[in-house]
Amino acid sequence: MSPVIRRILFSLAVLLWAAVILYFYQSGRIVKYLAPDFRLIAMAGGLGLAVLGLFNLLTAFRESDCGHDHGEGEEHDHEGSDMSPLASLILMTLPVGFSAMWTQDGFSQATLARKGLYEDAQPADTPFLASAFPAPTREEIENTHSKTADGYLQFSLMELFFATGDRELQDVMGGLQVEAEGRIVEEKNDNPNGTRMRLYRMFMTCCVADSRAIPIILEFGKEPPLLPDNGWVKVAGTMRFPEENGTLKAVLEVTRATAADVPPEEKFLRR
Amino acid sequence: MNADAQQDFALAFLSILFEGAPFILLGTLISGFIDIYLPAGTMDRFLPKNRNLAILVSGLLGAVFPVCECAVVPVIRRLVGKGLPLGCALAYMLAAPIVNPITALSTWKAFQGQAPWAMTGGRMLLGYLIAVGVGLIVSRIAMHRVLRKSIADKVEADSAKKEHQHHDHDHSCCGHDHSHEKANDSRLIAAMRSAQKDFVDVGVYFTIGVAITALFNTGIAPGAIWLDSLAGNPAAAPAALMALAFILSLCSTSDAFIAATLAKFTWSAKLAFLVFGPMLDVKLIFLYQTVLRRKFILVMALSVFAFIWVVAVAWETWFGKVVLP
Repeated sequence: MSPVIRRILFSLAVLLWAAVILYFYQSGRIVKYLAPDFRLIAMAGGLGLAVLGLFNLLTAFRESDCGHDHGEGEEHDHEGSDMSPLASLILMTLPVGFSAMWTQDGFSQATLARKGLYEDAQPADTPFLASAFPAPTREEIENTHSKTADGYLQFSLMELFFATGDRELQDVMGGLQVEAEGRIVEEKNDNPNGTRMRLYRMFMTCCVADSRAIPIILEFGKEPPLLPDNGWVKVAGTMRFPEENGTLKAVLEVTRATAADVPPEEKFLRR
Repeated sequence: MNADAQQDFALAFLSILFEGAPFILLGTLISGFIDIYLPAGTMDRFLPKNRNLAILVSGLLGAVFPVCECAVVPVIRRLVGKGLPLGCALAYMLAAPIVNPITALSTWKAFQGQAPWAMTGGRMLLGYLIAVGVGLIVSRIAMHRVLRKSIADKVEADSAKKEHQHHDHDHSCCGHDHSHEKANDSRLIAAMRSAQKDFVDVGVYFTIGVAITALFNTGIAPGAIWLDSLAGNPAAAPAALMALAFILSLCSTSDAFIAATLAKFTWSAKLAFLVFGPMLDVKLIFLYQTVLRRKFILVMALSVFAFIWVVAVAWETWFGKVVLP
């Protein structure tokens, strides 16, 4: 294969990566894939790839000189590769292309389960959260959380989930009237009477592949109201931390549950 | 693959790709410009005359000449051919993909919220110690037992030739730039082409690695559950992740983004993944064979694997649960 055709193929592969990254950034879909810190970096990377690919495409027919001498018998080639350029092009473009077509910007229920949707927080799992959220007093909680018109303290789901692994927090938060927001799904564990649902959000550190589900249990005490499966809801009620089958659980005894707007992104940006 | 699996794979695949691609681009732009603008003899001039000291310094050269493991092998091949001491070359080859600012930055960034300074520092330190250790050992072994026969013969022939031509300044091997009159834009084009070629070379392996990771991450790959089941075993987990690093063949500038997603594994297992992967993986086995003897590669691979495993298990046993998650 001639060097010019190889350059053109490589440029096309690089430009496809640039196009996909820049499209996801420009369309706003990037918020489903990357944590905020990484979005600008991805955009800069997309622009850099576009410059690299376009530069090499536009100069593909020009002669170049590396400006240094090579030893006798050494190949004077800065572009040679062990892999066929066509194979490189296929390997770089097909997975990206198919993924861009297949993605629905969210995980299926099976993968959510794998990412902790039906797991409860354990003390050993939360050392960093413990340092980030030292146990407050009830007064501090009331001073730092706004109240709804009907008197519920607004909590993020992360705080409620984290409290399951912290005995001090349970003492302070047990019995509190709280409101929280998240996605509602069927409760698959220990739900013989069918009165329970599960509320969760995804917590992303860097990208969605490393995200974890942060769930609590919703106890309605009767048949739960009809709410869209995996839809966003606001729920209010009394927080409890019962021990069930030897495991501490975060259970919200629900008094009010209503559908909510979809937040701008999954990350914990609002309560 | 059913529709749910396609959706899960695509989401995980794209997210890791978006996260890692800018760092690969940065690394390959630097390596492309080094390739064209840096005269080949520059590294020799940085090294002290004392053999052991030179190896210690070689392990740090990645901080000045940052290249990933894919780019470092061709560089080493050329430098060894031009007479760089073998111990220095191997110390640089093993350390440069880890002990360099791009890898440090990507590791620190990827492990935000997961003790980033400890992971970055631990990775640099362990990588450096292993690389220098291998360099010191290799410097005491005959060249023919380490290098491929053709390269060892060439090095010896060149060495004899240099002795003979001691003061005859031959431009073909001094590494200086003798083409100052050549147009700058022509070199820029060459540098951009070299960078693009490096990006594609690394991008191909990165794509394969990300695809395999996405399959494991979402539970699609056979063995994903089995891999998870090893996560809590302090002896099996580092070995499993080193084996995974070997198979995934990720670039050191972006592998931290994948390690950070292995949420069920311990800190020391992830450290083993991040130190072993840039030193030995499937693609490197092929690349190393362009310079080193197969038997030496096998012995080096097993020794490095065993050493990192011992360090990881010892850390997990004595410190892991106390200091880090």
